[in-house]
Amino acid sequence: MKKVLVFLISVILITTLLAACTQSGPTSVLDKIKNEGKIIVGTSADYPPYEFVDSTGQKTGFDIELMEEIGKKMGVTVEWVDMPFDSLIAAVKEGKIDVSISCFNYSEERAKEVGFSKEYFNSEDSFIANKDFTGKIEKPEDVAAYKLGVQSGTTQDTWIKENLIDTNLIKEENVQQYERVDQAALDLEAGRIDILMADYVPAKALVASHPGFQMLLHEAIASAGPINIVLPLNDEKVKTEIDKAIDALQTEGVIDQLAAKYFGE
Amino acid sequence: MDLSNFLSYIASGTLYTLGATLIALPAGLILGLLFALLYLYGGKVFSFLMSIYSTVMRGIPPIVLLFVLYFVVSGSVNLSPFLAGSISLGIISSAYQMEIIRGAIQCVSGGQMMAARAIGLSQAQAVREILLPQALRIALPSWSNEAAIVIKDSSLIYALGVPEILRRAQLISASTQQPFLAYSAAALIYFALVFITTRLLGRLEQKLAIPANP
Repeated sequence: MKKVLVFLISVILITTLLAACTQSGPTSVLDKIKNEGKIIVGTSADYPPYEFVDSTGQKTGFDIELMEEIGKKMGVTVEWVDMPFDSLIAAVKEGKIDVSISCFNYSEERAKEVGFSKEYFNSEDSFIANKDFTGKIEKPEDVAAYKLGVQSGTTQDTWIKENLIDTNLIKEENVQQYERVDQAALDLEAGRIDILMADYVPAKALVASHPGFQMLLHEAIASAGPINIVLPLNDEKVKTEIDKAIDALQTEGVIDQLAAKYFGE
Repeated sequence: MDLSNFLSYIASGTLYTLGATLIALPAGLILGLLFALLYLYGGKVFSFLMSIYSTVMRGIPPIVLLFVLYFVVSGSVNLSPFLAGSISLGIISSAYQMEIIRGAIQCVSGGQMMAARAIGLSQAQAVREILLPQALRIALPSWSNEAAIVIKDSSLIYALGVPEILRRAQLISASTQQPFLAYSAAALIYFALVFITTRLLGRLEQKLAIPANP
């Protein structure tokens, strides 16, 4: 009995160690995608209008339709996996999903962990507040005088940290981080924060659905806007294929149509 | 906006919640029982190992263990998010169930073990025939507590991408901007699940009660 247990425990320990050491070799995830005829795409479907669920529970939105089009160009079907935004990069890194499309901005920190496709859309940053907000916001740094809200793990989050907190313009306790942007909107409505910083397109959707909100300012601040698909690190093969599909969709005007459909632009 | 559709979308997450609970609870029970016996009768080494296990497992936040199991361990063993999540929940629960069962066994007076040995039962027989039947009855009320906790903790597997009740409520909250409605629906389903489970376990408790020893 004891010997069996000791054996079992050592087997478990060894597999754990091996799991930590074995990484897949230089094979491209593209081979797997083509072999299986499907691409496993992660998204955090809580970010309308980029990705959200419709009344039938189906995922929809700008990113979702765009990825379906990319899948068609690659000749594979798209299998969707919904995850919290914070989990997505880890999931791509560990090969749990092939790629992720979830309104990702490029950033240097992220680029150490995962690869990026070419940009498929340009986003802007924005600040929204309640209508009764009377402060003057002429440049982005002016928001430091107020209580801020932001979604954690986003490039806006990093911008606030690097440009407002690290430069002592704002105290850390005056910045509230939220797991999702809709939670931040609730707190804005309740007056627990004064200003919410978010990507312009979802912020515009929030202003449209909350009559009490106003848009203070929108421009390319945090990341100068390009949004990309997140790919495995150093996987040139899959990058080439997906970039090719994005190029084709851009020349065919599909991306513009989708932007008109979801963003009204 | 189609409310009934949204609500049924949230409700269809119940399958994942139930599935995860039905894997985690029995897995935790089997492991917990085994560990409790090892702790009590496995000699010094196992007793020491098991107390470390229980301390560590109860000390780590469940979400951290979920991530470790899913992202680190399943690098070589390819587990689906649902399985990895359910098994991790079972492992976490096993530490709590081990303590529940250990406490219950120790509740049965030590004199019974001595008496059983005196009439010629082996230690294993005494545990199986005399101590466990009483101990498991004593453990049942606290165990139904643990069952309720596991049902609600199963919402953690959303972090791995399993579309269970709470994650669906979040998605509906984001897309309809009606968080109160979405979360109330989720709360009602959880309440119903826990209510039914604890009621059933209460029944079981009554049924199993030893008449002479109320």
